[in-house]
Amino acid sequence: MIGGAARESRVVGALGRRGLSVQFRRAQLLMPTFVLPLLVLAVIASGTRAGRDLEAFPEVSSFLGFVVPGTLLQGALLAGLTSGIAIASDIESGFFDRLLAAPVRRSSLVLGRLAGTLGLAVLQAAWFLLIALVFGAHYDGGVLGALGAAGLASIAAIGIGGLACAIAIRTGSMSLMQSIFPFVFVFLFTAPAFFPRDLLTPTLHDVSAFNPLTYVVEGARGLLQGDTALGDPWLGLLAAVALAAGATLLAILALADRARRS
Amino acid sequence: MSARTTTPAAPVAWALWIRSLGEVTRVRGAIFGSSLAPLIFLLGTSGQFGRLVGLPEFPTDSYLSWVVPLCCLQGAGFAGAAAGANLARDIEQGWFDRLLVAPVARPLLVLGPVLGAITRALIPVTLVLVVGVAIGAEVTGGVLGVVLLYLASVGFCAVAAMWGIAMAVIFRTQQAGPLMQMGVFLGVFLSTAYTPQPLLTGWLEHVARINPVSHVLELGRQATVSGIDLSLAHTWPGLVSLAGMTVGFGALALVGLRRMGR
Repeated sequence: MIGGAARESRVVGALGRRGLSVQFRRAQLLMPTFVLPLLVLAVIASGTRAGRDLEAFPEVSSFLGFVVPGTLLQGALLAGLTSGIAIASDIESGFFDRLLAAPVRRSSLVLGRLAGTLGLAVLQAAWFLLIALVFGAHYDGGVLGALGAAGLASIAAIGIGGLACAIAIRTGSMSLMQSIFPFVFVFLFTAPAFFPRDLLTPTLHDVSAFNPLTYVVEGARGLLQGDTALGDPWLGLLAAVALAAGATLLAILALADRARRS
Repeated sequence: MSARTTTPAAPVAWALWIRSLGEVTRVRGAIFGSSLAPLIFLLGTSGQFGRLVGLPEFPTDSYLSWVVPLCCLQGAGFAGAAAGANLARDIEQGWFDRLLVAPVARPLLVLGPVLGAITRALIPVTLVLVVGVAIGAEVTGGVLGVVLLYLASVGFCAVAAMWGIAMAVIFRTQQAGPLMQMGVFLGVFLSTAYTPQPLLTGWLEHVARINPVSHVLELGRQATVSGIDLSLAHTWPGLVSLAGMTVGFGALALVGLRRMGR
């Protein structure tokens, strides 16, 4: 039993490392995940900074620090989507069929891919927080707050990765996975990623309550700013863990279904 | 003197155009994603930043009217970038190699996909406009304004398609898909996407001023923004920008195409 678990954890580790190395093998493919969110951050920070003059905008030490959680969330979404694209690529190239024929638990194939997503998300979060700090963001929550925010975003990335993997496994189409890319921004903008929830329009305010990423981004904001009035970190953690667990289960079920059909 | 025989241009372009339109049915869900995403983006963005119209110097009191042209351009841009992703798939699968050895002028090989992308782009553009107006966006520019909005969208789709095709022939892999879409995002974001020029601050104020997409947005915003009247002064910079980007990215695509198969 313990030997089996150790073997499966080695499989998960190996697939996770492969997932990361595939990502880093082609530098141009890192651009969307590592650079795009920073550019959006820069644009939002410059383009909507005037919003601080609005009534009901909370007092924060830096606008850049206030919007950084939206960037962490965006990075998590992109890291998750990358997992789905990679798994669809493996399916189209036939590599995934070879994995399916290997004497390992099928859940390990999904968990291995998501381990790579977790690694990528951690690297991204550290990168985003560091770059924003260099450009003037203030983290009143200190190092612990920054670590907590990065942790929340990384767990959320597993959730998005699980959803992306489930879709990729069900469809096996890389073209379809790439057409899902715009939806990343749907998840982002139906959460109070860059503006306080109280300043969203009434409809979006109501919709955002059903988006688990709302609680993740608010929790990360509360941690980074050291102010739980901006977001409850524990609620954020609960939302992130529930999303990750549910989405991973969906991906495993999708894989079981695919294996039955093939 | 070359004795090479070439096929008449029109039937080739027509055949590739029709094949490109076939993507709508061939790739399940692709049209769903590219059509629905700008729509949800419209709702999300207007909900997220809607209160910004309360700031002085905002040219309209309807943020929805401000972002309808933005979302039309985004939808059109995604449809254009998808032409590049589809071409990358054809290259990976070897189908494009067969086209390269056909007695056909190479520019024709990309004309069909560009026309297909423009045709597909009409779906999200129309959807965004109709839904936007239905939920409260104003059509201050009347019929002529709407014509200009379609012109801006179709032109931007062609630009995005050229960009996507250039990336496809340079990297020759579907994994460059996010890079193609990122180009569209950057073009749109680094402009007056969310707030008008006077409300932009820092570096974005300067970048948006020289970004040609700001002019294309202004061209389209004559349809819905009460503060941007129909006039030549708001029209010709957008048209010139579209022409310049089409020529620039078209040349890049053709250079990449010529290098293929050498």
